[in-house]
Amino acid sequence: MKMDEDEAQKQRLKAAVHYTVGSLCQHIAADCEKQITKQTIAAIAETAFRQCDIFAKDLEAFARHAKRNTVTVDDVKLTARRTTALHNYIQQKSEELALNNQELKEKRKKNAAKRKSKDMEAEEENEVED
Amino acid sequence: MANAGNEIAFKKETVAKLLTRSFKEDRTKVSSDAVILVAEMLKVFVEEATRRAVKQANSEDCDTIDIEHFEKILPQLLLDF
Repeated sequence: MKMDEDEAQKQRLKAAVHYTVGSLCQHIAADCEKQITKQTIAAIAETAFRQCDIFAKDLEAFARHAKRNTVTVDDVKLTARRTTALHNYIQQKSEELALNNQELKEKRKKNAAKRKSKDMEAEEENEVED
Repeated sequence: MANAGNEIAFKKETVAKLLTRSFKEDRTKVSSDAVILVAEMLKVFVEEATRRAVKQANSEDCDTIDIEHFEKILPQLLLDF
């Protein structure tokens, strides 16, 4: 039955979220020299899971509003609008992402060029640039 | 916003699945970069929740973060997000 598959997937996703949340919580608690109860971690995980649902629905609405079928980085930035600090942080992360993508693109271009030209000179030039 | 354990993060695949199962329409998709950013948002959410609960526990002179601490900071956390 489709419902059972759905439910099974939901449980798997919840478990995955719980695992990461647990790691994050333990790390921070240890950092602050505190203990944290399993019950608290479970509550945070459940809340995060539900928050993601809210994010998803907002993101879909923003994309739809912009007459798009694909949710983009701009939509995510909008969901971070309520708190300035959060908004700035997401803005920074999106810029890092864009930079990363740019670097990857350039690496691929370089590699493609390297493979094409069997010239020793071209290879030396590339090494110096780095 | 401090980063807790840069290695700990939500898996892209998990976040992507979480998002798509919540979309109301079948044709709605999500870009790869957007998934990465949502993973960051979730990580910040969890970190904020934990750090605020720690603060609450501190203000009550507790060494253990209990669910009541989390419950007390939850309303404001949700409003801030």
